[in-house]
Amino acid sequence: MANAMLHQIVGTLQLLGNSRTNYEIRNNSVNLIPKGFKVEVEFSKRGIYSSREGKLGVIRASASETSVVDPVLAPSNNVTHEPRTKPNETALILIRHGESLWNEKNLFTGCVDVPLTKKGVEEAIEAGRRISNIPVDMIFTSALIRAQMTAMLAMTQHRRKKVPIIMHNESEQAKAWSQIYSEETIKQSIPVIAAWQLNERMYGELQGLNKQETADRFGKEKVHEWRRSYDIPPPDGESLEMCAQRAVAYFKDNIEPQLQSGKSVMIAAHGNSLRSIIMYLDQLTSQEVISLELSTGIPMLYIFKEDNFIRRGSPVAPTETGVYAYTRGLAQYRQKLDEMLH
Amino acid sequence: MVQVQGSFVHPTRMANVTLHQTVGTLQLLSSSGIHCQVGNNSVRLLPKDLKVQVRFSKRGPNSFGEKKFNVIQASASLTSVFDHVLSPSNKGTHESLKKSNEAALILIRHGESLWNEKNLFTGCVDVPLTKKGVEEAIEAGKRISNIPVDMIFTSALIRAQMTAMLAMTQHRRKKVPIIMHNENEQARQWSQIHSEDTLKQSIPVIAAWQLNERMYGELQGLNKQETADRFGKEKVHEWRRSYDIPPPNGESLEMCAQRAVAYFKDEIEPQLISGKNVMIAAHGNSLRSIIMYLDKLTSQEVISLELSTGIPMLYIFKEGAFIRRGSPMAPTEAGVYAYTRRLAQYRQKLDEMLN
Repeated sequence: MANAMLHQIVGTLQLLGNSRTNYEIRNNSVNLIPKGFKVEVEFSKRGIYSSREGKLGVIRASASETSVVDPVLAPSNNVTHEPRTKPNETALILIRHGESLWNEKNLFTGCVDVPLTKKGVEEAIEAGRRISNIPVDMIFTSALIRAQMTAMLAMTQHRRKKVPIIMHNESEQAKAWSQIYSEETIKQSIPVIAAWQLNERMYGELQGLNKQETADRFGKEKVHEWRRSYDIPPPDGESLEMCAQRAVAYFKDNIEPQLQSGKSVMIAAHGNSLRSIIMYLDQLTSQEVISLELSTGIPMLYIFKEDNFIRRGSPVAPTETGVYAYTRGLAQYRQKLDEMLH
Repeated sequence: MVQVQGSFVHPTRMANVTLHQTVGTLQLLSSSGIHCQVGNNSVRLLPKDLKVQVRFSKRGPNSFGEKKFNVIQASASLTSVFDHVLSPSNKGTHESLKKSNEAALILIRHGESLWNEKNLFTGCVDVPLTKKGVEEAIEAGKRISNIPVDMIFTSALIRAQMTAMLAMTQHRRKKVPIIMHNENEQARQWSQIHSEDTLKQSIPVIAAWQLNERMYGELQGLNKQETADRFGKEKVHEWRRSYDIPPPNGESLEMCAQRAVAYFKDEIEPQLISGKNVMIAAHGNSLRSIIMYLDKLTSQEVISLELSTGIPMLYIFKEGAFIRRGSPMAPTEAGVYAYTRRLAQYRQKLDEMLN
């Protein structure tokens, strides 16, 4: 009396005649061979949990999830195999860049294009280790080098074979010059798109000033107000509200459609542009977003499923033992990566 | 008023001074001594009973009218003079270097990229560095950590930009590289710095497509097998090794050199002429094109010129000439490295800033 625990299985369960249950995970076939077993099950493609219980003999098993899948993954399994059904859940990773040279000097940075310190470089590499097993199909960064470097340094740690390629569309020549002439190679590429809409909040006349200068020039309370309010901009600068407006609009127009089409996405950006996006993902109020502080260099994971964003916290560092709420899809992805090495 | 290139050492009674390369002016005061100015620092040497009339031409360090000149020599080291006479207000960033007629030019070729690792023709496809490429950049940075940098030029490709920024994380100077944004009005405005002090502490970084790798046209993204299949092995070899034959839709080395050297002459050389120390982070073909210009190589010579990755190359620009100075030694390597005196002084100032 086979006991099978149906949790989150990404795939379709097909019932054949009466002799066996053939089920597919993506394009891999797994054979379960219960004896004398009749089951009719229908899963909708989008929902993981829907089962028609009318004709379903509830079956339970105590074997762990992985043991079912392990011995029967088809040997021809190839991670790059394309005609797969669209996954109904994708990963969204957010990474805030680490220490920049002006953080170190305590200067208001905003949109001034300041690079990372040694420490910021290490933070990016550490972040990369934490996400090394999570699929990434596309990368979005801001137009500032500290976010771009963070993304590229993080990806040096990624286990997948695909290569990030920065897209160039600033001119006809830039586009023509960056062309790739091999289909194979294009398939192995992760497009990287740089967008000013993901830039840090523009700090106007505070940019480049230290705390003393700003206090002298504008007064301590005014500065505090600009930093901590939602809708009051510094002179010639953006309020958090303005930053959120352009960052979230960009997310909805350019990033969300990618998630909807089944692509896993990584965004490398800044404190204010990321918390604007999180405000949208988590449906926070303006009060809540003001007090939201994002750690630098610690990636945040969301699962996008059925148009919902499910917050999954931060992937634990590779040396940390811990229970991390990966979905089955992510666990299987990791398994494929492991197999590619053997 | 005399302009000397050289350094002064302790005069004694029968003062011996070796004049090498000093940045500064030597003023002769009647009989009470020699007042020497190095940058904006004053040094006073008080030899007794010394009558010197020295004339140096502004341009040549070795030309002097010998008639009235008592040759003086000293053996004390360079640093002992400067140590106790540098005025306390001297700052490492002090523009005394501006008056010099020599500037440093550092060339760095980026390290391993993800397509190097996969053996794919890269050209102008914007592929980032591998872990190894990152380490090469940091190592390069350690080697140039004591050489002044006032401006940085990179290509428009991330592997060169990252190489420059990673190298600069190792630099001992306090100035901060800031990438310039001029792609449109908003980009320019948004990146504005509103503090004079901070501006002075900035090293502008300019990204230019003219410093990009040679554009490889229809070979970009192909591996060696694919190119051989598609075009034939000999043709591919010809494109890679000739001077003036471009691959389909791509650039020949000659075409790459044309736009790279033009950019160097128009945008970079004027900075050197004005006394700014410059670093260029770029690619194999754009850099050897520039070296072809600096070293006056023939097209045959440039074809066989292979540049190491991640090992910086130093040139001194002086009086309109580029003097090749090889590669700065790694910090842990003992060795004689042909720094100029001025570079040695710069290094000393950095050391002093820490103490």
